[in-house]
Amino acid sequence: MPARTPRQKEVRRHLIIYGALTPYIVIAIFPIYWMAITALKQDPDLYRMDQFPLWFHLSPTWKNFSYLFYNTNYGAWIVNTMVIGVWVAIVTLLTAVPAGYALARLRIPGSGNLGIAVFMTYLVPAIILFLPLARVVSLLGLQDTWWALVLVYPTITIPFCTWLLMGFFKTVPMEMEEAARVDGCGYLGALLRVVLPVSVPGMLTAVIFAFTLSMQDFLYGLAFVAPGDQKPVTVGVPTELIRGDVYYWGSLMAAALMVGLPVAILYNFFLDRFIQGITGGVGK
Amino acid sequence: MTVRSSTSGPDAAGARAAVVSAPVAGRARGWLHTQTSRRLAFGYLLLAPAVCYVVLLVGAPFLFSLYLALSDATVGDPAASFVGLENFRAALETDVFYTALRNSIMFTVVAAVFKGFLGSTLAFLLLQPFRGRKFVRGLVVIPFTLPISISVLGWKWMYDSQFSVINWFLSKVGLIGTYGSADWPVWLGQPHLAIAACIAVNVWRNFPFSAIVLLAGFTSVPTEILDAARVDGTNFFQRFRHVVAPMIAPILLIGLLFDTVFTLSDLGVVYLLTQGGPANSTKILPVLAYQVGIQAGALGRGAAIALFLFPLLLPLMILLLRNLKRREY
Repeated sequence: MPARTPRQKEVRRHLIIYGALTPYIVIAIFPIYWMAITALKQDPDLYRMDQFPLWFHLSPTWKNFSYLFYNTNYGAWIVNTMVIGVWVAIVTLLTAVPAGYALARLRIPGSGNLGIAVFMTYLVPAIILFLPLARVVSLLGLQDTWWALVLVYPTITIPFCTWLLMGFFKTVPMEMEEAARVDGCGYLGALLRVVLPVSVPGMLTAVIFAFTLSMQDFLYGLAFVAPGDQKPVTVGVPTELIRGDVYYWGSLMAAALMVGLPVAILYNFFLDRFIQGITGGVGK
Repeated sequence: MTVRSSTSGPDAAGARAAVVSAPVAGRARGWLHTQTSRRLAFGYLLLAPAVCYVVLLVGAPFLFSLYLALSDATVGDPAASFVGLENFRAALETDVFYTALRNSIMFTVVAAVFKGFLGSTLAFLLLQPFRGRKFVRGLVVIPFTLPISISVLGWKWMYDSQFSVINWFLSKVGLIGTYGSADWPVWLGQPHLAIAACIAVNVWRNFPFSAIVLLAGFTSVPTEILDAARVDGTNFFQRFRHVVAPMIAPILLIGLLFDTVFTLSDLGVVYLLTQGGPANSTKILPVLAYQVGIQAGALGRGAAIALFLFPLLLPLMILLLRNLKRREY
């Protein structure tokens, strides 16, 4: 056997790793590929068990996509989801930025415990809260509009983002604020003029999580919003597009992927922050 | 801890200054005092909105759910009267409650085993340096980042009773017959298959999470420490046992706790796939609570069933709390 060069060894090592990773990639990606090809197939092409199902046998079509916009509330659901996301992001920023800053920088007695206490509420599951919250929602007259979700989604995002931003503010150099205060800014002035401008990345992360975490919800949307045109897309697609026992798989998959993939890709870029956030290693 | 360090500093300084010159000390003390109190007032002001939100919409509803569980409130009739532990007793007297409890625990444990296996092996592979590692990582985490109700729809189509792509494969490789034969699996229609199908979706969705949490744990072990241990003549297993394991254990525990809490309380997968059927074989506590509380309109009953999750979740939350505190200081 000829001796292997380092390069050959390296190639071999790569091949082994890729080979071992292949099953994981297939498991992870196959359902998404299957959804994508279903969305692009013509209906007769979907229901043929005698043909290889993973490729087209009739020409691909955009019909399933256009159907959604012309014949269903899909457009409205996307708008609802975006508007809900914007409001949730605003509420989250207005509450979590000050709270995270106060916990990280103002040496409040017991701030460590307080931070953990706020974070722990992230873990109180929706399934325990949704029945009493249904009462709150109807008391405020918000049942059956997406405003109900603007009210309840911050219960998920505020704890998480406060915790995340607390870690973030700990990494901002302290000297800058002190210098600003010596120069005559009050606490508020130092926060607004010095700290906030350098905290834009942290706030951007919080905004992304306001969107992605509220899109992971299903229960609140299902329980609080009944009218078809008020639903967010993550609830509208599974509840409204299925009519009786008839499944229009092509348009269902089109609807699912068109929102799912952009969110998944966006979330992908911020996943490390999420993991750092929940493992308590933020800013360390 | 923080109280003492922030107040004792100025006081001690004041006391020392007092020995030197009394008037200066008085002024310094007053100035420091107002400075501290202004800082704290500002701090509490900043904290107030977030704390109020969480108290009003998480804390209060939680207490309210305790009250609901002790009342006969229904969706149609807001005037509820106190019925004591009647709702809990009623839940404990139905068979479906025990089925749901058993299914919930079984679901969580079986899914955790698979997620642990797939996640740890994947993390080990992703730990190796190779070309395109970032890209591969980005691909395999997609199940976790896709909104849950969206991906479950894809699975529902894959589990279709007639046109299941899984069955197409199984049929092609000869494991099952063709459609209509006796061994043709109807994934969501047969009790044992249905629960397995639901578990599979949970595993698919969350094994990337296990992998990245583990990966974060592994990469948090500084290479200097490993090198130092290597220089000291330790072998791989000793290093793993005495260096790596203690360092990643807390992160691992946190990941496991999060995953368990989310799996135990998740409604979406089962609700969208089977609604708890066939014959209650996939009925888990969240589904039962939703069906009783919202669909049947018995708020009190539903709240009581949901609260049965709490004793299961509480120990996990306490563990997590202790773990986070240790990491904080």
